[in-house]
Amino acid sequence: MTPKRISARTRNEWVTAYGFLLPNLIGLFVFVFVPIVYALYVSLHDWNALNPKAFSGLDNYRKLLHDDQWWSSIRITLTFSVIYVPLLFVLSLLSALLMNALRGRTKGVARTLFLLPFAVTSVTSAVIGMFMLDPRNGVINRLLGLIGIGPQPFLGSTSQAMLSIIGVILWINIGYNMIIFLSAIKEIPRDYYEAAGMDGATGWKSFRFITLPLLRETSTFILIVTTIGSFQALDQILVMTKGGPANAMEVSVLYIFKQGFELLNMGYAASLAFVLFLIIFGLSLVQLKLFSNRN
Amino acid sequence: MPAVALALGFGMIFPIYMMIISSMRSETTVFAFQLLPVEFRFSNFAEAWSDSGLPRSIANSLFVSVTVTVVAMVFHAMSGYALARLRFPGRRFVFAWMLSTMMVPFSIILLPLYLITKELGMANSYWGLIVPSIFNAYGIFLFRQFYRDFPKELEEAAYMEGLSLAGTFFRIAFPLSVPIIVPLTIGFFLANWNSYLWPLIITQDEKLWVVQQELAHLAGGGYFTPWNIVLAAAVIAAIPTFVLFFIAQRYLVEGIKMSGIK
Amino acid sequence: MGKTWKGIGIAAVSLALMLQMACGNSNDGGNGGKNESASAQASGSENGGKKVKLKFWDFHTEKEEEFFKGLVDEYNKSQDDVEIEYSTYNQTDYTSTKLPTGFASGDGPDIYMISPGDFMKFAKSGLMADLTPYFPEGAKEDFLPASLDAVTVDGKIMALPYELELLGLYYNEVMLKNAGVDVPKTWDELYEAAKKLTTNKVAGLVIPPDKGAYLNFVWYPFLWQQGGNVLNADGTQSTFHSPETAKALDYWGRFFKEGLSPTKLQNGPTEIDNLGSKGAAMQIAGTWAITRAEEVFGDVPINVAPLPIPEGGQAATDAGGWKFAVNGKSAHAEEAAKFVMWAFAEDPARALKWCTEVKFAYSPRKSVVEQGKAIYNQGMRKVFTEQIYDSAIPEPRYPSEVLDVVGDAIQNVMFGKYDGAKAAEEADAKINEALKTANK
Repeated sequence: MTPKRISARTRNEWVTAYGFLLPNLIGLFVFVFVPIVYALYVSLHDWNALNPKAFSGLDNYRKLLHDDQWWSSIRITLTFSVIYVPLLFVLSLLSALLMNALRGRTKGVARTLFLLPFAVTSVTSAVIGMFMLDPRNGVINRLLGLIGIGPQPFLGSTSQAMLSIIGVILWINIGYNMIIFLSAIKEIPRDYYEAAGMDGATGWKSFRFITLPLLRETSTFILIVTTIGSFQALDQILVMTKGGPANAMEVSVLYIFKQGFELLNMGYAASLAFVLFLIIFGLSLVQLKLFSNRN
Repeated sequence: MPAVALALGFGMIFPIYMMIISSMRSETTVFAFQLLPVEFRFSNFAEAWSDSGLPRSIANSLFVSVTVTVVAMVFHAMSGYALARLRFPGRRFVFAWMLSTMMVPFSIILLPLYLITKELGMANSYWGLIVPSIFNAYGIFLFRQFYRDFPKELEEAAYMEGLSLAGTFFRIAFPLSVPIIVPLTIGFFLANWNSYLWPLIITQDEKLWVVQQELAHLAGGGYFTPWNIVLAAAVIAAIPTFVLFFIAQRYLVEGIKMSGIK
Repeated sequence: MGKTWKGIGIAAVSLALMLQMACGNSNDGGNGGKNESASAQASGSENGGKKVKLKFWDFHTEKEEEFFKGLVDEYNKSQDDVEIEYSTYNQTDYTSTKLPTGFASGDGPDIYMISPGDFMKFAKSGLMADLTPYFPEGAKEDFLPASLDAVTVDGKIMALPYELELLGLYYNEVMLKNAGVDVPKTWDELYEAAKKLTTNKVAGLVIPPDKGAYLNFVWYPFLWQQGGNVLNADGTQSTFHSPETAKALDYWGRFFKEGLSPTKLQNGPTEIDNLGSKGAAMQIAGTWAITRAEEVFGDVPINVAPLPIPEGGQAATDAGGWKFAVNGKSAHAEEAAKFVMWAFAEDPARALKWCTEVKFAYSPRKSVVEQGKAIYNQGMRKVFTEQIYDSAIPEPRYPSEVLDVVGDAIQNVMFGKYDGAKAAEEADAKINEALKTANK
């Protein structure tokens, strides 16, 4: 090979590489990067979507500092994550351990049963939830009645709406995370346990000192993905309560929608979106930092 | 232990069971406290099908999901291949930049994304439903992982035979990527079939509605529809995902496992 | 090199083809709402495309859509200068996205329907033309003064009211009789009745539980009956922080807190189906419910009475309804205004058909109500005509920010976050702030 041919090949490789990357580079740039920059631009304007944008400097940001509803929506968003993420984590892990203890056909059947709700879409799960949680006639209240518990308002109550919605979202997501845990558990070499067994370790101890530490990477992964996902759990909220009752489920994204699409305060809504982006991006960075440190 | 697992498993599918048996009841008995399937009004499905926008919305969902999935598979495979197998300046940076877009939750940029899509003239059209849904670093990332372990010998042989780099990819590497394409295709299809929020925002024309919008509309927006018909519609809307689940559970599980390996 | 690009080229072309297909479909979809006979007529017209084309958007469906389609057809045939293209959309989309995005991108309609909640925003953005000069002679005097006041800004009539939908208390006669309850006339009686009528299976009183314009709409009469109001007369200042507001909020909230009114409804809060399914004994709903109560639930003994009033209070009910508006930025505002006037301010027959045949509502025009006397005195309609009509107050056209704050106040009391006094106080400052934002 002559040096000239190599360089031709190298150049060829560059061109091909960027040719292959181009569609995604453009797409990700236009549909992920630009919106964030554009939000920043719009957020510096007073704009009701009907009239031309009027530059207003940092007015929108000053306004959001004193907007009780905004901070209340942030609080609701975080509360949701703080309840949902650990519950999903623990329940998925427990299900995986349970599956792992099973053998043969039972295992296949049980796994299918646990995973089946994952095939239920978010809107369908919300529809089923509304149907079963109906305060007057829903089957859940009827079942509670059998064990002597009076009818609960569920979605019609500020204190129960969040837990009701979390229940529905957990229901369709446990199976998915269970599978991830399960495949990680399977990768733990058997002799680890056998070695431990000789030392007289009990079930709990082998879990605590062998399984759990070896699941650390998977656990971190699930925590990060679930946390980011918990900020997106909008479908069920929208369908089941539209943010109510009494704004009890008005998470930040819904509040941004209200400001933007209902009240047509596009500039203000953009400033909220940008701040929320910063908050979540910051949170993800922190998590990622922890994640890569452990690697 | 097996008994506990099976009992819990049946608990997990209890809501699905309730949806199905209640979808075949009458308007007055739909809330009856009866856990056994005693009524079979199959006409509910016909009614849900003909009295709603379900047929059209299902066609829309199929069209959008299939298009997004097909285009995304090609684009993502190309990018994943470039990042895994080709040497070019800026590779690390491009990869890191693409990965960083994964940390931007979709819902956060919904409003500005809507504004951009509108500026591009794609609002309220199939363009707006399809194009922004294609790009997603997740698929690129998984393709890259796959191609990193791809046997080099095949490509070298192809190159020696005079195939270009692009030819090598399209003729050799891509056709041999079935093990990753199948689970990813299922994943993308499901994700797009489930898509609700973005279509809700980007379409105003009822004729562009996707199936999830139609279902949400039947359940809460319209108020006119009795519960048995809403549930019948929900059952119909769930058929494609359930079919996919049962015929491709193995690949679905495969895909889920893959997503867990960083 | 050549082969590299060939691959990419194929991918690009196939993508373009696929998207082309998608785009083609979408155009098809967009035409669905248009009036086809109108377009057919245009191509055959003698002026050969010289006609002014006007876009008319609204949200009606079924019978009501047919009515407007017919109206547009008739108008297009009646003259040669203007051709109107009618499109209709789903109501939620129409108000929340279709209109705003349409106007923002400059593709908005020339003629459209506006709700009181959006009225001020659109009026202030110049999206409503002054209709005052286009009223036919003597027509203005035919309208109820209050109905025109509700659409007048700075002395200009910005929209044409064409229907008044009044609220009343619907009830199941047999259920009341069996419980030994008289038709409630006062607040206390209504509360006691709801309490007696509520069982495991039956809700005592159905009123809207979810936040939204309709919740406010139904709640206002409780405030007005005591002489209270949300804003002062010229709409510049909140008068929300008052004992009347507190009382109205507390009274309303009690029904939910004590379980007399469901916080989740299986049927919509506007639907008489709540009574029709025998799942409720009483329901506050509007004139629109009569047709369905008669046609669908003829076997259920439904009747209607005026809204109960508090001790020492005054009868008041809310009169809602959409209004016809003309885009102030349209190049053909005059032609558009002429159509609007033709439709609902000239020949009373068209207005009468809308209010009596297509749906049941009151016309804001005295002559129309006069002509339809026979219909306005049938069955439950008589109650509205004789006992409710006179106490009607047109739905206020508050900015959407104000609607939002009032909605929050009601919800906060319903779900026990605040008592009425606290909610009124908290909302008061927010309303003033919202007014400042809205009037900027």
